[in-house]
Amino acid sequence: MKLSGRIVVEPLDEERLTNIERRVVSGAVDAAARHGLRAPRRISGRVLAMAAVVTAGLAGWALHAPPPPTVAEPAAIRVETSPQQAVLDIGDARIASDPGAGFAVTRPAGGVLVAMTRGKVELEVGKRVGRPPLVVRAGDTDVIVVGTRFTVDYGDGRGDVDVRVTEGVVRVVHQQQETRVAAGYAWRTHGGLIASAEDDPGARAGSAVASEAGPTATPPDADPTRAAPGETVPTRAAIVIAGGPAPAVLHDRKAAVPEAHAASSGVRTGPSRPAAPDAAPVRGARPSDPRGELRDAIRSQPVEPALDLGEANAASAVTRYYDIAAHQSGEAASQAFYSIAVVRHLRLGRNAEALQTLDAYVRRFPGGKEYRAALWLRVRILCLDKLDDRCRAAAYTFVHQAGDAPAARIAERITLSD
Amino acid sequence: MTSRAPSGQVTAALYVEDVLLVDRCLTGEPAATRELFRRHKHRVHASLFRVLGSNREMDDLLQDAFLQVFQSLRGWRAEASLSTWIDRVAMRCAYRYLSQRSRRIVAEVLDDDVVALSAMTPGHGERRQLARDGVARLYAVLDELSPAARLAFTLHELDGRPLAETAELVGSSVTATKLRVWRARKRIEAAAAADPVLSEFLDPSAGASADALRFDGEAP
Repeated sequence: MKLSGRIVVEPLDEERLTNIERRVVSGAVDAAARHGLRAPRRISGRVLAMAAVVTAGLAGWALHAPPPPTVAEPAAIRVETSPQQAVLDIGDARIASDPGAGFAVTRPAGGVLVAMTRGKVELEVGKRVGRPPLVVRAGDTDVIVVGTRFTVDYGDGRGDVDVRVTEGVVRVVHQQQETRVAAGYAWRTHGGLIASAEDDPGARAGSAVASEAGPTATPPDADPTRAAPGETVPTRAAIVIAGGPAPAVLHDRKAAVPEAHAASSGVRTGPSRPAAPDAAPVRGARPSDPRGELRDAIRSQPVEPALDLGEANAASAVTRYYDIAAHQSGEAASQAFYSIAVVRHLRLGRNAEALQTLDAYVRRFPGGKEYRAALWLRVRILCLDKLDDRCRAAAYTFVHQAGDAPAARIAERITLSD
Repeated sequence: MTSRAPSGQVTAALYVEDVLLVDRCLTGEPAATRELFRRHKHRVHASLFRVLGSNREMDDLLQDAFLQVFQSLRGWRAEASLSTWIDRVAMRCAYRYLSQRSRRIVAEVLDDDVVALSAMTPGHGERRQLARDGVARLYAVLDELSPAARLAFTLHELDGRPLAETAELVGSSVTATKLRVWRARKRIEAAAAADPVLSEFLDPSAGASADALRFDGEAP
C-alpha cells in the first residue's frame, strides 16, 4: 500500500486564497493590537507629537527669550587629586578621594555619574527618593546608589574593583549580574559579596579619613555644578574643574544614568521592584522581611554569563545566538541557547520568554554544560518575581539536580520558605 | 521543499529570517503577516487536504489554522523550525475539526454504478474515475477512524512524512504513532478486502510496505 503522493490536492483558486489572506491578516493584526503589542508604535507616535510640540516651543523660546545666563551647568567635571586627600561636595553627594584618584562627574538625565579612571573614592550620598540614582562606574562595574555611604577602590584603573558599604545599600552591576551590597558587606570583582568580618582595616581607615575631611575640606565656592567650564577652583586638595568633553571612560559605555528602577548597564530589574523601597533604609527593614533577605541572597548569587559575542545590542546578540544554535551542535549550541535566555532575562527584561527558552534548554540539553546554570536562572527568574509554589518547585529541582552547587543552599532556603 | 525540512536541516539564514519575520508579525505589521501567510499557505493547505480529504469547509479550516498560528505566535520558541510549528498548529485545528462528530466530513456520495467499475476493463478516463472513487472510499474508511489514528495515518502514509515528524506533529510518541498507523492500515486493508474499488486503488502489489511497518512484537 503506497499512498504517498497519490492524493491529488485540489488547489484553492486565487480569489479564495486572497479572501482568506485578507481575513487572516486582519485577524492577526487585531490580535496583535489586543495584546497591546502595537502600543510601542502608539507611544512612538505620541512621543513624536510631543517632541514636535517641544521643538516648536524651544524654537519660539530661542527667538524671543533673552540670552541664557553665561554660567551654565558644566557638562562634565574632571577631577584630579593631588598627593593630598580631597573632598568634593556636589550638593547631593560628597566625594572624598584618595591621593592619585581620578574620576569625572556628570549629571546625565538628572542623575549623577561618577566615572572612575583609577584610585579610591568614598561617597556619602543623600537619599535620592524619586530621583535617578547616583552611579559610580569603575571599568565594567557599576555601583548604583540610592542613598548611602560607601567606598569604591579601582586600584590602578585596570584591575579589580572593591566596594565597601558602611551605611545603607548599593547595587553593584558587573557583567550583567546585579548584587545588592548592604552595610557591613563588601563586594570585589573576584570574590563577589563578602561579609563584614572579612573587611580590612584599610576600608575603615578610609572612612575615617573621609569623616575627618568633612565638608570643610571643600572651599565655600567650590560647588562644581555651578562652576563655569574651564574655571579652575583653588582648593587645598588642588581639585581641577575643567569643562568640555568628558574623559574617554564615559564614552566606553552608555554614559547615562538610568531611571531609578533600572540598572545602568541595561539590566532591567523588573517592574516589581519600584524605586522607593530601594531608597528606604534597608538595614532596618531586613530582620522583619525574610523574603526580602531571601531575594537579596538570590540576587547576590552570580549568574553564568552569556556567551560574549561583542554585540552591544541585545537583540542583535540574540539573533546571533539563534544563528549559532541553528548552525552548530553540541557545546556551542548549548551555550548559545543558554545565552539567549540570559540576555532575555538580564538585558531585555523579557522574563517570560527567558523562561520559555530555559524550559526548552532543559529539555534539549539535559547533559549540557550550562544545564545547572540554566536551572539556577529559572530559580532566579521565578523567585525574584514571586516566592510561590512554582518558584519553590524550581528551587527543589535545582537542589536535586545540583545539590553541590554554591547556590544549592539558597535554593534549599527557598524550598523551606513560606 | 525546504520549508518542510526538520529543524536540524533548516539553514541558519532561513532560521534567522523566520525569527525576524515572526518578530515583525508580533508587532502587528500587516506586511509581515501577509508574508508569513504566503510562505506557508500552500504547504498547510496540502497537509489539511490530505488529512481531511476534499472538503467544502477547507477555506474556513485554512483560515482558522492561520488565525491560530498568529494568535499563538508568541509561543513559538524558535528552537524548532517555524514550518514544523505551523504544521503542528494546523494539525491541532484538523484534530478539533475531526473531533466534532456533528461535523462529519462530507465524503463524495458514491454512485451504485461505481461498484460495477471493478468488473470493467478500465481505459484512461475510467482509470481516473476509478482513482477518484478509490480516494472517496478511502476517506469513507478514514471517517470511521479516531481523529488521532486518522491524523497519524494520513500524515505518514498520504503526506509522506517520517514517523518521527508525524509523532511531533500530533504530539505523541513515535511508538504510539506507529501503533496508530498500523491499526489504521489494518482497518483499511480489511475494508479493501470487501471493496474491489478500494482494493484496486490501494494496489495490493505494494502490500510489502505493510510488513515493513509491522509493529514490534505481537499486535495488541
